[in-house]
Amino acid sequence: MILKRKRSMTEKPSDLVQGTLDMLILKTLALEAMHGYGIAVRLEQMSHGVFRVNAGSLFVALQRLQRAGLIKSEWKATENSRRAKYYALTEPGRKRLNTEKQEWGRQVAAIARILEAS
Amino acid sequence: MSLLRNITSGLRSLFFKERGEKELDEELRGFLEMAAGEKMKQGTSRKDALRATRLEHGSVEIAKEEVRSSGWESFLENSWQDLRFASRVLRKNPGFTAVAVLTLALGIGANTAIFSLVNGVLLRPLPYRNPNRLTMVWEKSRDGSPENVGYATYLDWKAHNKSFEQLAIYSSWQPVLQVGEPEQLSGLRVTSNYFRTLGVHPEIGRDFLPEEDAPNTNKVVMLSHSLWQRKFNSDPDIVGKPINMNATQYIVAGVLPASYQSLMNQDPRGGAVKIWRVLGYDISQPWACRTCHHLVAIGRLCDGVAITQANAEMDTISAALSKAYPKEYDDIGVILTPIREQLLGPASTPLYILLGAVSFVLLVACANLANLVLARATDREREVAVRTALGATRGRIIRQLLAENCVLGLLGAAAGLFPAYWMPNVLASIGAGDLPRLDQVHLDWRVLLFTAGVALLAGIAAGLAPGYRLSKNNRHDSLKEGMRDSGSVASRRLRGLLIVSEVALSLTLLIGAGLLLRSLSRLLVVSPGFDPANVLSMQTSVIGQRFNDNTVVRQYFADAVERLRALPGVQSAAAASQIPLAGNMDKYGFHVEGKIHANPEEDPSAERYCITPGFLETMRIPLLRGRDISPADTATAPQVLLIGETTARRMWPGEDPIGKHVKLGGMDSPWWTVVGVAGDVHHVGLDAGPDLQMYIPHQQWPFPDGLMVFVIRVASTPVAISSAAQRAIHSLDATQPISRITPLESYVGLSVQGRRFALILIGAFATIALALSMVGIYGVTAYSVAQRTREIGIRIALGAPRGELLGLLLRQGMLLVVCGVAAGVIASVALTRFLGTLLFDVQPTDLLTFASVVLLLVAVSAVACFLPARRAMSVDPMVALRDE
Repeated sequence: MILKRKRSMTEKPSDLVQGTLDMLILKTLALEAMHGYGIAVRLEQMSHGVFRVNAGSLFVALQRLQRAGLIKSEWKATENSRRAKYYALTEPGRKRLNTEKQEWGRQVAAIARILEAS
Repeated sequence: MSLLRNITSGLRSLFFKERGEKELDEELRGFLEMAAGEKMKQGTSRKDALRATRLEHGSVEIAKEEVRSSGWESFLENSWQDLRFASRVLRKNPGFTAVAVLTLALGIGANTAIFSLVNGVLLRPLPYRNPNRLTMVWEKSRDGSPENVGYATYLDWKAHNKSFEQLAIYSSWQPVLQVGEPEQLSGLRVTSNYFRTLGVHPEIGRDFLPEEDAPNTNKVVMLSHSLWQRKFNSDPDIVGKPINMNATQYIVAGVLPASYQSLMNQDPRGGAVKIWRVLGYDISQPWACRTCHHLVAIGRLCDGVAITQANAEMDTISAALSKAYPKEYDDIGVILTPIREQLLGPASTPLYILLGAVSFVLLVACANLANLVLARATDREREVAVRTALGATRGRIIRQLLAENCVLGLLGAAAGLFPAYWMPNVLASIGAGDLPRLDQVHLDWRVLLFTAGVALLAGIAAGLAPGYRLSKNNRHDSLKEGMRDSGSVASRRLRGLLIVSEVALSLTLLIGAGLLLRSLSRLLVVSPGFDPANVLSMQTSVIGQRFNDNTVVRQYFADAVERLRALPGVQSAAAASQIPLAGNMDKYGFHVEGKIHANPEEDPSAERYCITPGFLETMRIPLLRGRDISPADTATAPQVLLIGETTARRMWPGEDPIGKHVKLGGMDSPWWTVVGVAGDVHHVGLDAGPDLQMYIPHQQWPFPDGLMVFVIRVASTPVAISSAAQRAIHSLDATQPISRITPLESYVGLSVQGRRFALILIGAFATIALALSMVGIYGVTAYSVAQRTREIGIRIALGAPRGELLGLLLRQGMLLVVCGVAAGVIASVALTRFLGTLLFDVQPTDLLTFASVVLLLVAVSAVACFLPARRAMSVDPMVALRDE
C-alpha cells in the first residue's frame, strides 16, 4: 500500500506510452506462447535494448490482459525443466492486436506528417 | 463478457487468495531466477547476479504488491483492512467513540424517525392499480373551489366523455351493523364500477354487478378484510349470506384483500371505511338532481390521455350542460385532481417541513462530530506523520479516517433505528392530527436503506475536513516532540466555522419552534364559541321500520333528551344533527327574502344545526338577540330558526334580522322566520373563521334527522356519565347503536393536534440541536483553554487580573456565537415563511420570537463558554508553568 508512487521511478530506461506495453506484449505473443521472462527478453531484444520492462509493470499488464480475455495462461515446463507460466494469445487478443497495429500505424503516420511539415 | 471475466477473476483472487499468491510468487521468483541465470552466464557469481536483478526489477514483494493493487479486488481488501483497523482504533478510545456515536445516533435517529413517517404517508405506493391514472373529478363552484357532483351531472359526464376508461362516484354512508352489539360503521355507497375504477379485486366473492346498481336491487355490500375478521370470524362462506343493517337485509358480495385500505374517508374522528354498498340511484329520484351536490367522482384516465387533455374535454361537456340547464350550474368547468395530490397533498407540506427541520439536526450532529474528530486529530498528528513517513499517501490517510467515521456512522445508525422502530407508538401517543396512512408507518427496506445512506454520508461528511487537514500537516514538525501547535491556526479556524454553523442551524430550528409555540398558544386562547368543558357527546342513529314515521323520530329524540336530563349529575342535555369541531359537514342553501340571486344556486349556504330545545344552553353558546328555540316550536307551530352572528352581519348589514324570512335548500321549500341570533361557533377548526350558521328545531324540519349527536353537560368529569347515559338511551330502545362517545374537549384538542404535533417534533429537534451546539461550544472553549494553560499561568504569575483573563477566554467563544446568531437570523428570515400554513396569527418574522430565541441561545452559550473558562482561572501558575 506504500509503494504505488514508485512505479514512475522504476520504468526508467524509456517510459512507454500508456497502453503501448499491452500492444507490444500481444505482438511478442503473436508467434508463440511465452513465459514472463521470455516476454521481457524478447521486448528488449526486438527494441535493441530501448525498452526494458520491469517485473512489476510486466505482470500488472499480463494480469490486465488476461482479465480482458486477450491472453490465456498455462503452467508448463521450460527448456531448462523449470516450471513457468506460459502466456498465449486468444482469438480476441489476435483481433485486438490487428486493430491496435492499424491504429498505431495511422497515428505514427499522422504524427510524422505533422513533425515533417515545415 | 470481459467485465464478467474481470469480476470472476477478481473474486477468485479474493477467495482463493493463498493459491493466487503462491502462483504469483512462483512466477516472479522464476522470472528473477531466469534473469539472474542470464547474468551468471556472463560470469557473475550467483549472489551478485541475484542482487543485480533485484536492483533492476525491484524486490519480489514490491512487484507482487504492484500486481495485487492493480485489480479492483484490492480496493475491497484495503477497505476491509481499513474497517478492521478503524474498529480497533475506536475500541481503544471508548470515551470518544461513545460521545461520537451518541451524537450521530441523535442526528440519525431523528432523521430515521421522520423519514419513516414520510415514507409511510407519502412514499409507499397507493393501494390501487396504476394510481397515476386515477383522478378526482369535481364540479367548479362559483369561487373556483372544487365541489361535489349531482347524480344527473355524473350520468351526462359518463355518457359524453372519451377521456376516462372508468368514471365512478361515491358518497359516505354510515350504516348500523346489527351483528352482535349494534355498531355504527363508516362506509361508502359506490357505483358498481367503483372497484374496477380503482383496480381492486375482491379477495373472496365477486365485484358488484351493473344490474345491482338500481334502486331496488342495491342491497349488496362488500366487506373490508378487517371487518370480515372481526365481526364474521373470517367466515370463508360469507359470500351470498345475508347480514342485517339498518333493519334491512343485505347480501355479501365479497371481501376485499387485507392490503386494501380505503383512503377515501380520512377524518380521524370517523375511522377507516369498512363497508361498501352499491349506490343504486335512478335519475327519477329527487336526490339525483343536478344541484344535489353530494357525490364524489373519481375516474381512471384512458391510456395515453393526459390529464390536461381530459380536463379540456370535461370543460367542453360542462359548458354544454351549463347551456342546457342554466339555472342548475353556478359556473362552467370541471376540476381534475390527481388522486395522489387529493389524498396526500395536504399532508405533504408539513411533512416536508419536518424533513427539512430534521436535516438541520443531522447537520448539527455532523458539525459536532467533525469538531470531535478535529480535536482528536491534533493528538494523532504524530501517528499520521509516522505513517506518512513510511510512505502512506494522503488519499490513503484520508481513507483511513473516513473508514473510522463510517464505522461510527454505522454504529450511530444502529442506535438511530430505535426511534423509527418506536415511531408508530409515538404517533399513537402524541397524535398526528389528520395525517393519512399513519398505520403504514413502520420500519421497512426503504427506511433501512435511508438510514444506512444517511449514516455513511454523515460519517464521510464529518470526516472529510479533518482528514484533509490532518493529511496536510507538516510531517517533520509533527515528528518532533513537543511541537503541539503545528497547523493549529487553520484547524482552529475550521473549528470556529463549524461552531458558527452549528449555532446558526440551532437558532433557525429554535426560531421555528418558537413561532409554532406562539401559534399554538394564540390558537388555544381562541374561544370556540361554546364551552367544551364538562360536556360529553355521543352519536346515535335510529334504525327500524317504526322510524319511517317522522313523528316517531321526533318523539324518540325528545324522549331520549328527557331521559338524559333526568340522570343525576346532568345539568342539561340536548341533541343536534351536527356539532362544531367534530368533523361534520352539513350545509344548506340560504335564500334571504328580497335578496335572492337571479340564479338561486349563487346564494350562499349555511351550516345547518338541526337541534332540540336546550342546545344553546348545554353548549353555552350565547343568545345575542331575540329568543331561543323552545318546546313550543312544534311541527304544527310556525317555522322558526336561529342564525349565527356572522350570518346576521353578512346577510342583513345594518338591519335587524329578527322577523326576516329565509328559504332553506331548494326554492320550493317554505319560508322560515328568524327569531333569534346566537353567537358564532368555530365549526371547521379554531384556525378557520366562523362561517354562516343556522339552528333549526328538530321538531319542525320536514325530514327529521335520524343521525343525531347528544350533548350532555355534567357537573364533574364528562366520561363518568358515559355508561349511565348509554343505559338511559337504551332504556328507550335497546336496539339503537351509540358511537363516538367523546368529551367535547377532545374534539377541540383534535382540531389543534396537527399543529401540536409539528410543535412537539420541531421543538424536540431544536432541543437536540441546541444541546449538541452547546457541547460543541463547551468543547471548543475547553480545548483552547487547555492549549493555553501555559500562557494563562504566565499571565497569572505576572499579575494579570483574573476577571480580565476570564473576559479574554469568554470573548473568543462568544465571538463565534455572535457570528452564528447573525447567520442564523438571516437564515430564519429566509426560511420561516415556509412554515406558512402551520402558523396562526403570528408573522413568520415575529420580532418577539426572534428576540427571545436569540436571548435564550446567547445566555445558554455564555454558560457553555463560562464553565471551561472558569476552570482555567483556578489554574495554579506553578503547575501550569511546569506542565510542559
